[in-house]
Amino acid sequence: MISRKPHVIGKPFPLIEAQKKLTGVTCYAGDEKIVPDMLHARILFSERPSARFWLSNVDAARNHKGVAALLTGQDLATRMGQTILDREMLAVEQVYFAGQPLAIIAAETPEIAEEALALIQVTYEDLPAVLDIEQAIAPGSPQVHPDFYDYPGADALHADPAHNIAHSLTFSRGDVEQGFAAADVILERSYTAAHLQHAPMETHGGVAQRQPDGSVTMWMHVQAPFLQRKIIAKALHMDPAKVRIITGCVGGSFGGKVFVSVEGLLAAIALQTKGRPVRLLLTREEEFKGVFTAPAMRAHVKMGATKDGRLTAIQASYDWDVGASVDAALFHLQSVALAGTGPYAIPNADIRTSAIYTNLLPAAPLRGLGVSQVHWAIEQHIDELAEILNLNPITLRQWNLVKGGDMLFPSFIMHANGLQSCGLQVIDAIHWHPDASSHHDDAPEPDAPKKRIGQGMANGWSPIILSEECGSSISIHFDKENLCNIIVDGVDIGQGLYAFVTQLASFELNIPVEWITVEPTDTANFAPDWEATYHNLLWSTGHALLKATAKMKRQILAYVSEVWEEPISNLDIVDGEVISYASRRRYPLLELLEQNAENENNAPVFSVTSVYRPPNTDGSIESLLQSFASTAYAAEVQVDEKTGGVTILQLAAAADVGHALNPESVRAQIKGGMIQSVSFTLLEEMIFENGIPQSHNFRDYPIATTADMPQQLHPIVVEVPQQSGPYGARDLSHHVQVGAAPAIANAIYRAVGVRIRDLPITAQRIYDALQAKRAEEA
Amino acid sequence: MKHEIQFIINGHARSLTVESQQTLLEVLREDLRLTSVKHGCSTGECGACSVLLDGEVVNSCMVLAVEAANTEILTAEGLATDEGLHPLQKSFIDHHGVQCGYCASGMLISAKALLNRTSRPHEEEIREALVGNLCRCGAYADIIKSIQVASRARR
Repeated sequence: MISRKPHVIGKPFPLIEAQKKLTGVTCYAGDEKIVPDMLHARILFSERPSARFWLSNVDAARNHKGVAALLTGQDLATRMGQTILDREMLAVEQVYFAGQPLAIIAAETPEIAEEALALIQVTYEDLPAVLDIEQAIAPGSPQVHPDFYDYPGADALHADPAHNIAHSLTFSRGDVEQGFAAADVILERSYTAAHLQHAPMETHGGVAQRQPDGSVTMWMHVQAPFLQRKIIAKALHMDPAKVRIITGCVGGSFGGKVFVSVEGLLAAIALQTKGRPVRLLLTREEEFKGVFTAPAMRAHVKMGATKDGRLTAIQASYDWDVGASVDAALFHLQSVALAGTGPYAIPNADIRTSAIYTNLLPAAPLRGLGVSQVHWAIEQHIDELAEILNLNPITLRQWNLVKGGDMLFPSFIMHANGLQSCGLQVIDAIHWHPDASSHHDDAPEPDAPKKRIGQGMANGWSPIILSEECGSSISIHFDKENLCNIIVDGVDIGQGLYAFVTQLASFELNIPVEWITVEPTDTANFAPDWEATYHNLLWSTGHALLKATAKMKRQILAYVSEVWEEPISNLDIVDGEVISYASRRRYPLLELLEQNAENENNAPVFSVTSVYRPPNTDGSIESLLQSFASTAYAAEVQVDEKTGGVTILQLAAAADVGHALNPESVRAQIKGGMIQSVSFTLLEEMIFENGIPQSHNFRDYPIATTADMPQQLHPIVVEVPQQSGPYGARDLSHHVQVGAAPAIANAIYRAVGVRIRDLPITAQRIYDALQAKRAEEA
Repeated sequence: MKHEIQFIINGHARSLTVESQQTLLEVLREDLRLTSVKHGCSTGECGACSVLLDGEVVNSCMVLAVEAANTEILTAEGLATDEGLHPLQKSFIDHHGVQCGYCASGMLISAKALLNRTSRPHEEEIREALVGNLCRCGAYADIIKSIQVASRARR
């Protein structure tokens, strides 16, 4: 007999936190522990990108009335990082980037903290600064980190510190020279993408308090609390068990709250305030200049094809300006190396990606992990090749797309995937017409500037990488008071993790959704220093939860089996009741919990913890690859030739999610990813001048508002089951943007005949390109 | 300098002492613990701290607490009644008008002001009304849909 299960998988399911978020009940980091004896922390940031420096008048600040504690690099000389310790918590003698913390202070009020910090005088003696990739790798350029090999962890990287190369990865197959020899056409182009900001609406912050046992507790809503615990404990030379991070809902992260930036400083100052809690909340300006950027890219792509449209070879390099610390950007390189060919079965490939040190704000992964920028290059390149070959760009793509069964390298055969389907569905959605290029006849003269319309598309793929660190831990407790209480290691940053956990547990335990609560993560709950996060959140949480619910069910049935003296194989849980298929007896779980609560001596403890850990790897990037996620974008744009302004009339995005467990939530994530992509593509650029951030607020760094929305959005869910994923599902949020920028660029080209190879596509860039084109034609 | 001020907040009259330089945002969050009002930029650019002040949407980071004396203020905490959630709140839940949720209270407040003015706004009007409320998750499409559905339900 098959038990009936709650129909919650694959059905609309509201986000569990939504009601709390909409009534102001949800506690974000800034809402934590507003208590009378709380102290307020402020940070002094460097204003130079590369300099020796001296602080004077520090004692005046320390003795200022109302100051509880102050730390400079002289008090706290320590480095931090996960893999390589290449970032100082506080600058000691030299600053490596503008925005590097020089001191942290805790005082009775934020105003007193600022007054006291203002007493400190900073004297800089400028050193040569490295401000971009070209300069960094040029012969004889100054070295950002001359003492690179003194940093713990440096030996593990493929570095060339003399040329400011912090780490490189390569991926190759076949023989590119032969591949190019077999080509009829070879196209070589360079592409760039600007530094970006994660710019969550909630700035970084939290509260920290020293406990009587010398440990520190932090109420800090970050995306990866277990990783942060590890990094902070290592930097402060503490036992990780003595650093406790309690999280809650996060007001946006997008990758910016994974690695430690200022969080470690908060722990350090809280250890100095005799148990008084300390709050740190960054201002918007500090969020821009003192945390992280997403790295800027410089790419060079060379691709060969035969006349009949067979791609024969690709040689591509992707260089990333990671600023003065590579540690947070290492993961990014792995994704880029594996995605580097684009989603095409090109027999001969040579891909290299490098992280380059400069004296700029350190980079951290941004949603998309660099794969969006890889496609910025590849998917424009394919369009241009198609034009040269006089082929339809969609046909050229469809002929060359990787297919299920293709061997990408000896240890990886491509699985069934949605690449073809995503591509075809997006072009259908915008009513693709080949050679679409038309104009409004609002200007009577034939040569006068017009508003022209064009369509473009792009495919995308994104590797899902599972290192040993991508495990997950889950605990479930089942008692009268809380019913089914689930503790997860992942953090709900708005992607709907808690809804997913509730949905899955309700289905597997066959109990009502209303019985289930999900607790915000607290590092005290689990020992491992890894967790389910970004691209593997659903994957790892799902697997851990499947194990935990199975264990919980067994525990409950074993107990009833003993009470009833019936074999466990007769028993099941259906609609919140233990039933016996043999004796037809029923035991409602609520009754069971009630009775056990009365009879404490005999009360069983329904409590399980399960851990999922991905299989061991040999550390090579090939062995980390679990699968590829597919996407595609199509855009219809209108370009104003007079101004270069772009209006997106239609934008379609398709993502293969394997199995949409919560379809409306999936569509919401796709739509959100589309809007954010439009923002990255048309609006966003973190500007530095002589190494100093010039983007301080949403005026200098505009992000998309409702006014920037495409007129029509077509989110498309594609479902080609991921055989090994929970219920055939795969993660979505991280790859949902891949393909957006090149689809828009291809549409702009089709509209007005100019190719923009530098991100963002600003009106100014289009205008300049149009001017240049006119000059050339004349 | 300290000032004694009175205002009506979410339907309740309150008197309190504020400093000259304190913003309405600070007073609402820190003194009255109305933490649906979020700090996002302190420069009136993001709308996370939106509240209704005598029926008009203001960024509470740009209003001094003393300026709010003798006004009537509504925050997201004041939307639900004893009868339950406000139709806008219900609609935001049903139509995924919230992701990370940090902008949600400000969005609700701007939507409330719009519906007070126009009972059945067009999509264009909704977009315009929300232009000062940033959502980094990009949930605009579902936010607009939530507001449209709520406005229809009110009829």
